[in-house]
Amino acid sequence: MATRIEKIRNIGISAHIDSGKTTLTERILFYTKRIHAIHDVKGKDGVGATMDSMELEKERGITIASAATYCEWNNHEINIIDTPGHVDFTIEVERSLRVLDGAILVLCSVGGVQSQSITVDQQMKRYKVPCIAFINKCDRSGANPFRVVAQLKDKLGHNAVALQIPVGLEADHEGIVDLVTMKAIYFNGDSGETIRVEEIPESLMGLAMEKREVLIDAATLFSDELTEAVLEEAPIPAEMLIDAVRKGTLERKITPVFMGSAYKNKAVQPLLDAVTQLLPCPADVSNQALDLDQDEAQVTLTSDAAQPTVALAFKLEDGQYGQLTYIRVYQGALKKGDTVVNVRTGRKVKIGRLVRMHANQMEDISEISAGYIGALFGVDCASGDTFTDRSVNLTMTSMYVPEPVISLAIVPKDNKAEINMSKALNRFSKEDPTFRTYVSEETGDTIISGMGELHLDVYIERMRREYNAEVTSGAPRVAYRETITRRAEFNYTHKKQTGGSGQYGRVAGYMEPVNGEEFSFVNEVSGGSIPTQFIAACEKGFRNCLPKGPKMEFPVTGVKVVINDGASHSVDSSEMAFQAAARGAFLEGYMKAAPVIHEPIMKVAVETPTEFQGGVMGSLNQRRGMIIGSQDEGPMCVIESQVPLAEMFGYSTVLRSLTQGKAQFTMEFATYRQVPQSISEEIAKKRQEEKKNVA
Amino acid sequence: MLKNDLILRNPLRLMGHENEAIVPQGGFGAVLARAGVGKTALIVQVALNTMLQQKNVLHVSLDDPVDKVNLWYQEVLNSLASQYHVRQIKELWESIQMHRFIMTFKVEGFSVPKLEERVKDLTEQQIFNPHMVIIDGLPFDERLRTPLEGLKTFSVNHRLHLWFTVTTHRHQTPGEDGLPVQLSAVGDLFDAAIELQPEGKKIHIRCLKGGPEASEACDQLLDPSTMLIQEP
Repeated sequence: MATRIEKIRNIGISAHIDSGKTTLTERILFYTKRIHAIHDVKGKDGVGATMDSMELEKERGITIASAATYCEWNNHEINIIDTPGHVDFTIEVERSLRVLDGAILVLCSVGGVQSQSITVDQQMKRYKVPCIAFINKCDRSGANPFRVVAQLKDKLGHNAVALQIPVGLEADHEGIVDLVTMKAIYFNGDSGETIRVEEIPESLMGLAMEKREVLIDAATLFSDELTEAVLEEAPIPAEMLIDAVRKGTLERKITPVFMGSAYKNKAVQPLLDAVTQLLPCPADVSNQALDLDQDEAQVTLTSDAAQPTVALAFKLEDGQYGQLTYIRVYQGALKKGDTVVNVRTGRKVKIGRLVRMHANQMEDISEISAGYIGALFGVDCASGDTFTDRSVNLTMTSMYVPEPVISLAIVPKDNKAEINMSKALNRFSKEDPTFRTYVSEETGDTIISGMGELHLDVYIERMRREYNAEVTSGAPRVAYRETITRRAEFNYTHKKQTGGSGQYGRVAGYMEPVNGEEFSFVNEVSGGSIPTQFIAACEKGFRNCLPKGPKMEFPVTGVKVVINDGASHSVDSSEMAFQAAARGAFLEGYMKAAPVIHEPIMKVAVETPTEFQGGVMGSLNQRRGMIIGSQDEGPMCVIESQVPLAEMFGYSTVLRSLTQGKAQFTMEFATYRQVPQSISEEIAKKRQEEKKNVA
Repeated sequence: MLKNDLILRNPLRLMGHENEAIVPQGGFGAVLARAGVGKTALIVQVALNTMLQQKNVLHVSLDDPVDKVNLWYQEVLNSLASQYHVRQIKELWESIQMHRFIMTFKVEGFSVPKLEERVKDLTEQQIFNPHMVIIDGLPFDERLRTPLEGLKTFSVNHRLHLWFTVTTHRHQTPGEDGLPVQLSAVGDLFDAAIELQPEGKKIHIRCLKGGPEASEACDQLLDPSTMLIQEP
C-alpha cells in the first residue's frame, strides 16, 4: 500500500441501471494494467466482466453485489467500488458511499438522468461525497451529452460544468476535446490504449471556446487568482484552472462533467486523470465520530496512522472460510495480530487474517492504514460496527438502511429444504440489512421482505444454488377477521346424561357487535340460574371460540357476549359442561348474528412527481383503494389513501413502472373493514380449496 | 333515518334558510371570522351535510396537511354523533367518507390553473367529481380579484359551488356595505357571507349576505366546546 495519503483515492462508481458502470470499471482496470484482457458484461465468451464475479451476475448481465478493487494511475492508488444500478440492491450503494471519499456518477448520453440517477445522487448528498459525472455511451444513436448536462442542472440541481466536448457523436464518436488544455484527444489501438493528442478540429473550435468560457466562469468563484487572470485577460494555465475546479468539486459546489464511451474504449484515461486531479484524498474529507465517553460529542478523525485506530465495518460476506468483513480505516491502522474492540458489543477481537480485495480474489496483507479499505477474516460483527483500539471509545454513524417495500411468503419443498432455507435466510439477512425475514405469528407463513421483486428473486435463486433449498413463493396470506353485524340471542343446552355421571349446562343470553374491543363478556345472570363458580367457565368457553371463527375460521373480533339466564344440574353440571354449553351458545348465536369478514385496510401514502398523480390515483382506485386526499409539495405530491392489504401485493413494481421509478410509497395498518360480498365469496372458495388440499 | 336526521340538522337550515342551496351552482359563499374562532369547524359541518346527501365535497386546504383536515371531519362527526346520540358512527363515516376528497397546497404554490388541472385529473380518471369545493385558508387581499374571477369561471364550468373561509382582524372596521374589508373589493362575487362573532363566552353566527331578510332569524350561536351550531 502507498504511504502518501495525498496519493490515495477511494471512489465509487454509481448510476442508473445499464449506464455502463461495470464496463467502465473493466476499462479502468485494463488501462491501469490490473487486468490484461477486457471481457464484456454479458459477452459471448461467457467470462463476464471482472467485477461481476457471481455466476448469477454473469448470467443476467447485472451487478448484484458491490465489488472492491484497486489500481494505480499517475502515481496515485485508486480504490474502486463498483456498485449495482438496480434499486433492489440499493444497500450496496448506501454502504459503499458511506465509506468512500469520492464518486463517479455515470450517465447514459441517451437516457440522461434516470430514476436511479436521482437516488444515487441523493445518496451522495447524504454522505456529502464529491462527485464527477461521466456521460457514457456517446457512441449510441441519439447521444446528446449537452442535454444530459442540462438535466444534471434541472433535475439534480447540480452546478454541472463540462470539462470536455465530444469529437463526433453516435457512430462518428472519435474522441474528446479537453477544454482545460484545449487539445483534441483520440484513442487508438485495439482497446483504445494509445492516446493521440492533436489540435482541435476547425469545426469544433467555436463550440470549444464557448464551453471553455462557461467553465472558466464557473471556476472563478473558487479562485481569486483565476478571477484576476480573467480580469487581466492573461493566459490561464491549466493547473490554475484545475485547482479552482478541484476546490469547487471538493466543496460539492461544482460537478465537472466528462464524456466518452467505455464500451468503445473512448475517453476513459482522461476520466482517470480527473479522478486523481479533482476527487479528494482521504485527508481532504472530514470524518466525524461520536465520543461515547463525552455524551456523544463529535470528534473529527485524522487520517494519521499514528493516532488511535478507528475503523468501520461496512459489508459482510459469509463464505467457506468464515465471515469476510469489509472495513474502512479512518484513523490509525489495523495490523495483523492487533486486538481491537467492537464498540457496539464491547467485545475484544483479535485481528487474524487481513486481505485486500480485487473483485472476488484476495491478497494477504499485514496492515490496513488510515484511508484504506480492506477486509478481515474471522471477526463476527454486523454491518455498521465500529472498531477501535482500546484507547478510545468512539463510534461512527452507520449507513442509512431503507425499509423493505415488498414481501413474499415462501414455502420449502421438503424438510431438508426447510433446514437449508433457514440457514440461507440467516446468512442473507445478516449480510443484507434490507433483506428481512420473519414468521407470521398469525398465518405461520415464512415471509421475506426486500427492496423489489428482483431483490427477492435473486435471493430465492441463491437459496436454490448455494444452499440447495427449493422453495415456492407467493403472496403473503392476509390476516382476515370475522365479526358480527347484529344482535342475536342464544339459548343452548349442553346435555349428556345417558347413565352415570353426565354433563349438563344451559347458557342463555345474546351477542352483539362492539366497537373498539376484541371481545367483551358481561354477566347479567341473576337468581343463581348459573352458579357463580361456573361463570368463569362460560367466559372461557366463549373465548375459546374466538381464535377460529365459525364462518371461515378467521379470528373473531368485536363481539360482546351477555349471559342473562341458564340452568344447571346439581350433579352433572361442571366447568367442562358450561364451557361446552358456552361454545354451543356461541355457535348458535353467531350464525344468527350476520357474521361478516373484515380485511386489514392500510394507510398508503405515495410520494410522486405531480405529473404522475393521475396515474397513481388510478392505480390505487383499481385496487379498491379510497383516496383520502393529495398534498401538494412543489414538484412532488403525496397521495394518501386507504387500500386493502390484499390488493397491495406487487404494488411497488406497478408504482415503479407507472412513475419511471420516481415514486415511492409507505404503508401502515389503518383499520379493519368489511370485505365486499364478491370478495367474501372468493375468500370462501379459496378456503374450501385449501381444506380440500390439506385433506 | 339516521342520515336524514342529520341532514335535517344542517347548520344552514338551522340558520333559517329554506334549503341549504343559498349558494347556487357557480356561486360563492364565505365564512368569516378572526383566527381560531371556528370557521373550519362550521365549514366542515356544511361539508358533512353535503356528504350525507351523497354529494361530493372537495376540501382544499392551504393551511393544514391532509391528516389534520381529516381529523377535523372525524372530530366534528364524533361531536354530532354524541349530540344526537348516534351509535353506529363508524358505519356512518364509512358510508360517506368516499364523498370527500382533500387537497392541500402551500399558499405560495396555489393557483387557479393548478387547481383546475388537479380537478381535471380527478374527473377525467373518474376518481372524484366534486359538487362543492371548500377553499380553506386562502389569504384575502387586494390581489385576489383576478384569481377569484378565475375561480368563478371554474365553478361555472364545473357546475359546482365554492365556500371560502376568510380570516378577519379585530382592528379592521367593516366597509360601507357592512361586509368585512376582506370582502369589500370582491363582495359582488359572493352570494352568501356568514360571520362568526365571539362576544364574551358566546360565538354568534350572523348572516351578512344571502339568506332570509330578517337578520335575527339568522342569529345563531356556535357552541365553543363542540363547535357545533346550538339548537335554538
